[in-house]
Amino acid sequence: MDVFYFTEMPYAEFPESEAEKFPSMRLTFPNTYFDPDTASGLMNRYLDEYQYAEEMGFDGLMINEHHNTPSCMDVEVNITGGILARITNRAKILMLGNMLPTSDNPVRLAEEIALLDVISGGRIISGFVRGIGIESWANNTNPIHNRERFEECHDLVVKTWTTPGPFRWEGNHYHYRAVNPWMLPVQKPHPPVWVPGTGSPETVEWTARHRYTYAAFLTPLEVAKNLFARYREYAASDGWEPGPEKFAFMICAHVNDTDEKAQESGKAFLWRMNYPLRGPREYWSPPGYTSRAGAAAVAARRPTPLHEMTYQELQDRYHLVVGSPDTVIKKLRHIRDELGIGSLLLEAQGGQLSHADTMRSIELFGKEVIPALKD
Amino acid sequence: MFLMRFTERAYVNYTEEDVRNSPNEAVRLTFSNSNFNPEEGHYLYNMYLDEYEYSEEVGFDGLMLNEHHNTPTCLGATMNLEAAILARNTKKPKIVLLGNPLPIFDNPIRLAEELAEIDMISGGRLVSGFVRGTGVESLATNTNPLHNRARFEEAHDLVIKTWTTPGPFRWEGDHYHFRVVNPFQTPLQKPHPPVWIPGTGSPETLVWCAERNYPYIFLETDPQGTQDMKSIYTEAAREHGYEPGPENFGYLVRIHVQDTDEKAYDVGKGYMVGNIGVGRIPLPRDYASPVGYGSRSDDPRFLRLREQIRSDPFRVGGLDSAHYDEILDSKRWIIGSPDTVISQLREVLSYMRPGILAVWTNDGSISHEDTMRCLELMGQEVLPALREIGEELELTDPFQKEGVMPGLTTV
Amino acid sequence: MPNFTEETISVAGGNLQVYKGGSGDPLLVLHGAGGNAGPRRYAQALAEKFTVYLPSHPGYGKSDRPGWVETMQDLACFYTWYQEQEGLENVRAIGFSMGGWLAAEMLSMTGHAFSKVMLVGAAGVKPNDGEITDIFIISPAQVRDLVYHDPSQVPEWDELFGTDPTPEQAQQAEADREMAIRLTWRPYMHNPRLPAKLGRVNVPTHILWGENDNLVPVECAGLYQQAIAGSQVTVISNCGHSPQIEKPDDFVQAALAFL
Repeated sequence: MDVFYFTEMPYAEFPESEAEKFPSMRLTFPNTYFDPDTASGLMNRYLDEYQYAEEMGFDGLMINEHHNTPSCMDVEVNITGGILARITNRAKILMLGNMLPTSDNPVRLAEEIALLDVISGGRIISGFVRGIGIESWANNTNPIHNRERFEECHDLVVKTWTTPGPFRWEGNHYHYRAVNPWMLPVQKPHPPVWVPGTGSPETVEWTARHRYTYAAFLTPLEVAKNLFARYREYAASDGWEPGPEKFAFMICAHVNDTDEKAQESGKAFLWRMNYPLRGPREYWSPPGYTSRAGAAAVAARRPTPLHEMTYQELQDRYHLVVGSPDTVIKKLRHIRDELGIGSLLLEAQGGQLSHADTMRSIELFGKEVIPALKD
Repeated sequence: MFLMRFTERAYVNYTEEDVRNSPNEAVRLTFSNSNFNPEEGHYLYNMYLDEYEYSEEVGFDGLMLNEHHNTPTCLGATMNLEAAILARNTKKPKIVLLGNPLPIFDNPIRLAEELAEIDMISGGRLVSGFVRGTGVESLATNTNPLHNRARFEEAHDLVIKTWTTPGPFRWEGDHYHFRVVNPFQTPLQKPHPPVWIPGTGSPETLVWCAERNYPYIFLETDPQGTQDMKSIYTEAAREHGYEPGPENFGYLVRIHVQDTDEKAYDVGKGYMVGNIGVGRIPLPRDYASPVGYGSRSDDPRFLRLREQIRSDPFRVGGLDSAHYDEILDSKRWIIGSPDTVISQLREVLSYMRPGILAVWTNDGSISHEDTMRCLELMGQEVLPALREIGEELELTDPFQKEGVMPGLTTV
Repeated sequence: MPNFTEETISVAGGNLQVYKGGSGDPLLVLHGAGGNAGPRRYAQALAEKFTVYLPSHPGYGKSDRPGWVETMQDLACFYTWYQEQEGLENVRAIGFSMGGWLAAEMLSMTGHAFSKVMLVGAAGVKPNDGEITDIFIISPAQVRDLVYHDPSQVPEWDELFGTDPTPEQAQQAEADREMAIRLTWRPYMHNPRLPAKLGRVNVPTHILWGENDNLVPVECAGLYQQAIAGSQVTVISNCGHSPQIEKPDDFVQAALAFL
């Protein structure tokens, strides 16, 4: 099993209660709370931590992007992907991912990802996401077209990577008369594609039909199991059997020298589980963004939102794994064995977790936890 | 004087025959990317990044990048990604992007975010240039060339506003519509990263820059004509109540140095397949300047200037049919030993008086070894001499300017 | 009270739901972004004098959306098709809010859409000073709060909002909102080129606005008036975005006087 290191590159440098003054900590939370000097230091700190994660033995480095939010300072996953491509040597770079529907220029997107693959010498895993509703707002992309644009953008990106140019593309949402970027990926036919999900049935089916890797994000284990089972059903109906490499799982994880110390330092993750996950329905899921079937599926589960769970509940339900190396090994093995996954994506820096605690955690993961997960 | 290093990052691993066999015999836009080998690309990109990182070491004040699409002549199709890498991997020099082609962006907010992120990572070293892009950029991205200038101006206004006005706010323009402009990240430099505009002398752009006190970087323009172009800028600047100096002007020139004049002469030939491509086949007119892209202003001053640009035998984007010796005789390229280069540059600088010198050190088929030696000699001999000349001629650059630094929109 | 019937006809390859009632010359009523609330009190009153046609726009209510209806201009094309098919060209018309924008688009496309037209709190033209409120970034309840200036003066309040919606009604409201988003997302609730195109309009046009409109600023009434030669404006005082619901008597009086 491959283990990936991940941080959302949060900016937690203001009293979180400020979020109470606005509908949400995302989208319309004023950027006057942002201090670029502080952010400049933070961005470079997070990049240092990524480099250290490679050094200590993580198999891959995962990055993501969001807009209009302090919870994720990376607004351009390809920018940080480019930096990691150049400053690391071995680790896979998992971008999970580029938001297809909000992209107005899929050819440029294909070029950017190809460039990263070229610079990194073929270490890119290209994740594609639909983006949460907030991204539709920030980029002013009509949410009603979200899935259509996701699919058309995907088709165009993959065609750009795999079909010699120049060719023409005249679709519903994208139009080009000379697709011919002078930049193609090193990996052939193209970099692996991963797709994350939290439960949308259409996404599972689409991912399985394309034989891409499906990554369940912060879902209860039972939900992940069901999603993976559905994936296997689609695969079976298409006449193939997916191996563990088609399944990934993302959770928050923190390790420290002892359980006591870890329980204390791990509380820093509560920041990211709280205000950044709140906000009006119109922000998260504007009308048209989710299909009726998808909305019904979520409603039927009536899950307790993460931001309403206690620290203990988050741990009991495997959204957050915290402890000494031994404790964490035991829990992560449980997840691995329950889910049959090929990749474990660990958000090992989150919220207000300090540089020192992050570095120690990375070190312990590298020295003790990751080797124990390889047996 | 501000000294920045530039190369277009060419890919030359194809033949003239390949170009002849491609649609319209064009080396850009439709020259099939099946001629691109990503393994070779891997080697080249990292080599070019090594060279830029070394340019910091030898003492350049800035690292200049540019962007073109669908072409082997410039691998910088997604320049901001290279800029991000340099932001992280260098410490001192400015990262000068000349520039992002604004009209081809459908989402200026995202561009503003990208540039802010680069500015943050670099610790405030970004110089954010903007360009209209050549016709090829419009065609490659399927952006209507008729709206090129309108989109350039609207995207510029929106990017600057995004950087300088606290969000959330709404933008409903002719080409761009956003209801929640509020990227959490804003640039480190306040009020915003400096804006410089490169070009070949389009009079409308000169006036537009002068109105905003944006330095204008002349791209290999003919020295005589450049004086007329500068006078258009100067006149417009005076109308706006200020007197432009060297800090308002830059000049890009190919400068290659080797240990001896002979060696430099031989190596410099590599430029001949630079931005015009292997085979030196001129680009079809409808690629470079599709209908609607060019200005149709009938201002007589502008018409004269446009005629002048067109009649320049060594025009930028081409220098297509000229012979190497002709070009060298014209002093449009400066190639030689350190002494030769320094003395020729003294002449050029005295006449052009730019506060910003963009040094195009290598391109086309010039090898990595020769480039590294050129950079080394630049650091040891040429840059120190240029700094002295700069002081002697009082070629103030934007960062040395007292008062309002050119490049900043007053907001 | 005139008897309204609900019928379904086939137009442009899809079913169109139309409420129809009354007698007299035809009067086409175009509903707003929120959907077709059926023949409310104002429609009943108008039906005393006219045969009122109140269709649900494609994608709204029980009407199908032909796949090609993506924009307001597509919708206007759809309705001119409907008019031709049903012999409803050159009739009187009223358009509310987004339906007012729709009527204006139709006016800009053909000289024989309407004989007389009323635009009520019409979207479609970008205000110079204010903004058209973003109704998609806030909840339907918040939108409702903004629509009515004084809920206590809305005679049909209980009928309209007195009970919680059934699951079916909630689904329908969601579908209606999706259609509004499809049509008006970007540019938001306006067409930058509409005012210039309204220069061709030469039928009597009456522009009616609630003085306290919190969705589409009253200044838009003036902008419509400037764009349409000879048009007249009435502003109803102490009234929000939907005069036909909030002050039906005043509204009907103004409408009958003009129509």
